[in-house]
Amino acid sequence: MQLPINKEDPQIMHVDLNSCFATVEQQARPLLRGQPVGVTNRISKYCCIIAASYEAKALGVKVGMRRDEALELAPNLIMTETDPPKYHYVYKKLLNILSSYSDNVVMKSIDEGVIDFHGTRQNINKRELSEIGYEIKARLINDVGSWMRCNIGIGPNRFLAKVAAGLHKPDGLDVINHNNLISTYKAMKLTDLHGIAERNEARLNAVGIMTPMEFLNAPSEVLRRQVFKSVCGDDWYKRLRGHEVDQHSSGITKMVGRQYVLDIRRPSDQEVRTRLSYLCETTGMKLRYRGLCARGIMVHVRYANGDSWYERKMFKSTFFTNAEVYRRATLLFNKRPRHTFEREIGVSCYMLAPSNMSQISLLEDINKDIWLTQAVDQVNNQYGEFTITSATSAKSKNIVKQKIPFGSTQYFELLLKSG
Amino acid sequence: MDNTIQINRDVNIIAYYFRGKDKPKCFPKRMDIDGRQITFTETGLLHPTQKGKRMVHVFDMTDGKADYRLEFDAEVLSWKLVAISDANYATAY
Repeated sequence: MQLPINKEDPQIMHVDLNSCFATVEQQARPLLRGQPVGVTNRISKYCCIIAASYEAKALGVKVGMRRDEALELAPNLIMTETDPPKYHYVYKKLLNILSSYSDNVVMKSIDEGVIDFHGTRQNINKRELSEIGYEIKARLINDVGSWMRCNIGIGPNRFLAKVAAGLHKPDGLDVINHNNLISTYKAMKLTDLHGIAERNEARLNAVGIMTPMEFLNAPSEVLRRQVFKSVCGDDWYKRLRGHEVDQHSSGITKMVGRQYVLDIRRPSDQEVRTRLSYLCETTGMKLRYRGLCARGIMVHVRYANGDSWYERKMFKSTFFTNAEVYRRATLLFNKRPRHTFEREIGVSCYMLAPSNMSQISLLEDINKDIWLTQAVDQVNNQYGEFTITSATSAKSKNIVKQKIPFGSTQYFELLLKSG
Repeated sequence: MDNTIQINRDVNIIAYYFRGKDKPKCFPKRMDIDGRQITFTETGLLHPTQKGKRMVHVFDMTDGKADYRLEFDAEVLSWKLVAISDANYATAY
């Protein structure tokens, strides 16, 4: 396959909020502005930083770093806990702004979205895309607050738009087109390309590709047969030249679950089970929220010494109630090795199908379970999630916090209800 | 370490200001708490949130010395001071 560089006018815009959670916290609390801020899900001695402000990043603090490591680099680091309603509000505002330019808007996550301007430029947006980009920045400041910043990248495909958005952080606006594509690649490293991390870099290095320019000049055959050993090689060949290959919607949900890093170093069996029960309850909530039921369940445990264990099982009957998820998870959980303390536990349901909740069963016990679940859900919807909760998970209600959905925003509404 | 102190007390808002031309939004300007008056100098973020079926509007305000988190319950029309974080952030855990 031989393709030239795509010479079409850039029509894709990638909008990415800068250090989203940290910036929103600084927006909400003006006294935090200009200070190094780290956001975590639950403040503890060894908690992990999920977002760092630019002031913290300048001191070397990185996302994913443990709190104690970050404090060594930035002794004045201010840690705050996540506040999902704030992020949801900013997400909605961002979505409203982006949707006003094109009906083809895809939010890739809470803090980034892609606008496809194909088919809108002739009639609606005749202006330059960079002009629209500056307008989006201004509207974000006007609608949300003066501290909000975003990176905007414009390119002929989603990949190049994303690359452009990362060129000048924070608050940058860059355009990559066929004129400056080569010069942009020349100034970059392989790992600067979105999708190329350590492993892919090693794959490329193994065939002598050391720079983005060498990557661009590599024949598609080499990428397909030697580097990626799949059609991914062809995709990369097209992607690097500005041809669109990433225009796909997220697929069907195949798995629903929760995991939790235990807050106690040496938990008792009872304490672990309380948290497991809570995870099962939220997994059941997620299933019903998506209108699904499951046939398979998997439980995994990671131990303090680094070992891990998992067990999965398929059942003949489907399930979606909290009690059933917990009962089936406990069946597997009881089989775990108990040589040391648990550090992380998780529950996942798979083999998902549309829920049969509305189907009245011939068996009275099953009907009672369904009616009870429906009644509890109704009360919880009215008065807030976990107003009625099972006794086994009641203690964990205030300990286990809902995480921010990073990759997807499909459970955002549910998260806010339970927040 | 964040030094937020949870207050959770009803307060009186004694002055308001409005922002926006087409759809003006109302913001608290001055708060009375135990006879002490606090004048807000800047609005951080206003965001709505749900508590069950109730809609609560959260106002993050500052008077330049501390950040205040206020909640306005749209059902019973009451103001609550939820938390205060002062400017002297402690770092010890």
